[in-house]
Amino acid sequence: MSDSSPLLEVTDLCTTFTTPTGPVAAVSGVSFTLNHDETLGIVGESGSGKTVLSRTVMGLQPRRNVVVTGSSRLNGVELVGASEAEKRRVWGLEVAMIFQDPMTSLNPVMRIGKQIDEILRVRRGLSRSAARDRAIELLELVGIPSPTQRYREYPGALSGGMRQRVVIAAALAGSPQLLMADEPTTGLDVTIQAQILNLLDDLRARLRMSVVLVTHDLGVVATRTSRLVVMYAGRVVEVGSTRDLFARHRMPYTRALLEGSPRLSNPAHTRLVTIPGRPPNLAQLPAGCSFAPRCAYATAQCHVERPELQPADGLGHYFACWNPLPTPTGVS
Amino acid sequence: MSDSRQPLLKVRDLTVTFGPRRRRLSAVAGVSFEIYEGETLGLVGESGCGKSTTGRALMRIVEPSGGSVELDGVEVTSLKGAALRRLRTRMQMIFQDPISSLNPRRRVRDIVAEPLDCWQSAKGEDRRRVVDELLHQVGIDPDLYGERFARQFSGGQCQRISIARSLAMKPKLLICDEMVSALDVSVQAQILNLLEDLKAQYGLTLLFIAHDLAVVKNVSDRVAVMYLGKICEIGPSDTLYESPEHPYTSFLLGAALEADPDSPAHREVLSGEPPSPLNPPSGCRFRTRCPLAQDRCTSEEPALREVGDGHRVACHFPLSLERR
Repeated sequence: MSDSSPLLEVTDLCTTFTTPTGPVAAVSGVSFTLNHDETLGIVGESGSGKTVLSRTVMGLQPRRNVVVTGSSRLNGVELVGASEAEKRRVWGLEVAMIFQDPMTSLNPVMRIGKQIDEILRVRRGLSRSAARDRAIELLELVGIPSPTQRYREYPGALSGGMRQRVVIAAALAGSPQLLMADEPTTGLDVTIQAQILNLLDDLRARLRMSVVLVTHDLGVVATRTSRLVVMYAGRVVEVGSTRDLFARHRMPYTRALLEGSPRLSNPAHTRLVTIPGRPPNLAQLPAGCSFAPRCAYATAQCHVERPELQPADGLGHYFACWNPLPTPTGVS
Repeated sequence: MSDSRQPLLKVRDLTVTFGPRRRRLSAVAGVSFEIYEGETLGLVGESGCGKSTTGRALMRIVEPSGGSVELDGVEVTSLKGAALRRLRTRMQMIFQDPISSLNPRRRVRDIVAEPLDCWQSAKGEDRRRVVDELLHQVGIDPDLYGERFARQFSGGQCQRISIARSLAMKPKLLICDEMVSALDVSVQAQILNLLEDLKAQYGLTLLFIAHDLAVVKNVSDRVAVMYLGKICEIGPSDTLYESPEHPYTSFLLGAALEADPDSPAHREVLSGEPPSPLNPPSGCRFRTRCPLAQDRCTSEEPALREVGDGHRVACHFPLSLERR
């Protein structure tokens, strides 16, 4: 396959849940592309639609009460509206997902080895013994000590960090080209979080995968992604290279996210920059820009007319704002 | 320096053990520190290190198995009945999960007034005035929201209500256990700023327990680092963050992720996981993961010793020796 065409192409993706109180647009009009061998970060607060987006992208959504429009093409294969059989051909083999909670992603009454074997035997058609050998190899690859013994253990015998490693091993079993990681380290301790993120980085480079890292933590994406998508109330509000977004963000919400989190380098008792209010209710979104009610720069236009993504430069940096922050001068 | 001030809280050799004799788990294995009036002491560590249990033992939500806790000269561990209840008006706790800390079926005003009702310290018009004043302080409009139910509020607002309730009896000491870790970044910043304002206004002393090093640094005057039930380092926050003495503190800081694309991505990462507190290592508890460990660390447990102004470390080979 040619490396010049993007691995994943998402165009105008919308996910709307039908609820008793009316439609809830969890994801509206999201477009982005992901190239081969690239790590993309999707950041946003809870309720911003980042998890729903990452699931919709791979065609993973409830069967009922949801309307998905737009397109999500993985290696040219359309996943929106694809049949279960079509999706099954892609899941595990071309795209795999790691979920947030390593405690509940594994079956507690099934041996660890068997949960990895399953994919290898069913999807790759390996024999029982070949699958076992490969599973032990995978456990070793993700840094689990004494993999041959661990192979026979139950998830309950492992710590959270070790379980997340097992989940990663299972995700890698089908040799996917794209790994979707939804908050892979939330709930883990800092030292374990650093281990898991380093492991993902290392595996990505070694196996030439692309990774989508979904998180609320800007610290997680700062050094481990090349591009970032910032989401607010179901929409992309800014997208660009990670460096650009940290140094030259134009959307006030991106700035609020960056400056609202305490930094290790700040002296004690530093006053944090805050924005009033909280993320909006997706069932009752304001007419204009969803961020306008909390934004210090909002004008009358912001409250009535929704800004579309517009280019900040010719280098793939886009933002959706009527009153963008000025570009800082003198920043390299 | 804070040492010239009176310690408000003095903790000596506090231990908390759980379970039957044969499988005894020491969640807190001899912890000593003091908190001076008006300061904030941060308590950090990974999950299972005993930081929350320490906070709970101070309040006697869990019973300490040994050691002493003195609040303003009063021994807390031996109090019973009415005296214990009276003590708890002087120290209050705020918990991690704001939503489950509040009864979803009660009204905001009643939740905040509960301590006043228990002690019958304010009634009628007076009670109303005190409660509304508290709600104002935490940024909740009592006229708009006072009669709503707790279930109608978001996590950040519930945490504000919890704070208002904890301040109702005008406590001296507030124990905050992971109070912002369940909140979104933009809401977390609001609550942290609010806490700093209230601390100044009410003259509060704070024990701030959290796993997030950046959050702890932002609010604390001094910081204590716990590992497997013991304090391994304690000191003024700027000193501790800039030149940590204990190898564990140094790794913890190295593993913390900075929201800065220019920060080094692959720093030296601590390998392995904390050992089980059911069977802690002999000698120094960190030695099984410590790259600097030597024979002495296996045989002899390091005591906390002074290495700088108010900076104490429990390590045979503190990093400043290494640097020399």
